[in-house]
Amino acid sequence: MEQVGLAAAASEVSLWSLFMQAGLVVKLVMIGLIGASVWTWAIVIDKYVSFNKAKRQFDQFEQVFWSGQSLEELYRTLSERQNNGLSAIFVAAMREWKKSFERGARAPIGLQMRIDRAMDVTMARESEAYEARLGSLATIGSAGPFIGLFGTVVGIMTSFQAIAGSKSTNLAVVAPGIAEALLATAIGLVAAIPAVIAYNKFTADAGKLSARMEGFADEFSAILSRQIDEKLQPRQAAQ
Amino acid sequence: MRGSLGTSLVLHTLVLGYALVSISAPASFEVADVEALPVDIIPVESITQIQQGDKKAPVAEKAAPKPTTKPNIVENAENAGDNDIDLKTPPTPAKKPVPTEAAAAPKPAEKPVPTPTPEQNEVKDIVPEETTPKPAEVAALPEPKPDVTPPQPKPEPAPQPQPTPAPAETQAEEIPLPDAVPIPVAKPRPEPPKEEAKPVEKPAEKPAEKKPETPKPAETAKAAEKPTDKKEGKKQETAKSSSSKESDFNADEIAILLNKQDASGGGAKRSSAPAALGGKKDTGGSKLSQSEMDALRGQIENNWSVIAGIEGAEGVIITVTMKLDETGAIVGRPEVTAKGGSDGARRTLEGSALRAVMRSSPFRNLPADKYDAWSEVVVNFDPSELL
Repeated sequence: MEQVGLAAAASEVSLWSLFMQAGLVVKLVMIGLIGASVWTWAIVIDKYVSFNKAKRQFDQFEQVFWSGQSLEELYRTLSERQNNGLSAIFVAAMREWKKSFERGARAPIGLQMRIDRAMDVTMARESEAYEARLGSLATIGSAGPFIGLFGTVVGIMTSFQAIAGSKSTNLAVVAPGIAEALLATAIGLVAAIPAVIAYNKFTADAGKLSARMEGFADEFSAILSRQIDEKLQPRQAAQ
Repeated sequence: MRGSLGTSLVLHTLVLGYALVSISAPASFEVADVEALPVDIIPVESITQIQQGDKKAPVAEKAAPKPTTKPNIVENAENAGDNDIDLKTPPTPAKKPVPTEAAAAPKPAEKPVPTPTPEQNEVKDIVPEETTPKPAEVAALPEPKPDVTPPQPKPEPAPQPQPTPAPAETQAEEIPLPDAVPIPVAKPRPEPPKEEAKPVEKPAEKPAEKKPETPKPAETAKAAEKPTDKKEGKKQETAKSSSSKESDFNADEIAILLNKQDASGGGAKRSSAPAALGGKKDTGGSKLSQSEMDALRGQIENNWSVIAGIEGAEGVIITVTMKLDETGAIVGRPEVTAKGGSDGARRTLEGSALRAVMRSSPFRNLPADKYDAWSEVVVNFDPSELL
């Protein structure tokens, strides 16, 4: 571990000099925490952008869906491009519906079940995408302060050893070492506080989106179930 | 995700870069160069009680006696006035220039002086007659201790004459025999008086003979005078009284002469402020303030070497009661009492406290205007605090 230059520290207490005076462990902790902070903000930006985008898409799709447009037509336009969210659920249900009718489905209950399964799987995949990386936000939020504290403890231990070596208890000798050690906790808090706030916000947002998808899936399932009944009963009656 | 990571990185580098540039060493705290302020806890009596001023002057914020004209030359004066010496008596209004006359030397005083001399001379005439033979006798004797011996015979003959004279003779003769030393001195003297007048004059003559041995002639003369002739002594006394009656010595007359000068009163404390209502003297300040008391205690403590490690010294409280004069010097012997602790510790600490008090006399920095408060002062000590 590097010997802390206390004599030089007394004159200069800038942020860079504080970082450079720190020991190797404290430096590593600080670099790790800065990396965690970078990662946190990357997730925050990513989630913010994607959730906003998802909400807009949901609104657009619902507008189109309830506009009275033919579902067949809608399926044809949507199936050609990549879908997510509500449109992905719709496409999955319609695909299953198409496949079943193309091959001549006989049992209405079996068809209903298959469509529901297809929608559930798609919904699970979509909500998994929304909740991805929120776990790492939670980890950074809870562990960040502890990592920073660890850096501080190590830094204070080092500076106390250096103070003992300098054989002086003057505050000008004691203060810089402790200030430098406290920098680690400060960085830990800087990384952890946004992480905790973002985690809470995005978990709630993801929950809302999931609820919206579930609502749509139930509604669509009800519509399809009615359609199945309408389409299969004349055949059965003809037979 | 990659885009947002890049954005985050860019943002962090921007923030950190700005922090590195802007957040440098914070401005160090400014320590104001504040002067230490002495705080004195004073008893409120000094403000509420009567302050020195003028009884007839109007009330003002600060009591002050009539302004004095002379500059202040007397230090530590307590009474206001133009006097050169600080006196408690009020100034006398009379300003008549009184010619002070020195008391005239009384003429009759000379008279009584010469009168006793002739009588003394008469007595002295008697003395040499008796004394002259004695030195010769003493000189002839080989013994070197003539001074020591006389006291022994002195008391012995004195009681003898008071009872019957007959046993006195025998004893007086017998006593010198056993004593080797006094024999030569005592013997020659008693012998001649016995032969001359045994019964009546014995008591009178014996002391007269022994006293001449002492070196003072005047005493011997007086002593000899009385026993030899009481009548003569009486005559002398009468002569003295008669001489005093005859002189025109008058004590009252002298007293008048001596009192020609008027008593000059008034203090010497100067006042420059306009006269304001107040008392004749400050009655407040009858207590020493906390810091004045501490200063007094500190002076004693500085001179006090408390021996460390006295067993049972914990809880000993020493009370010193001392009287001080105006200069701060101790008057008499200070009284030191100790309470608590063991007997030995108490005694040791009492002794050391007394030494410390005596060594620190005279006390300095005591306020002169509060002399009433510290003329007799009681100081308490906890010696364990001094260790």
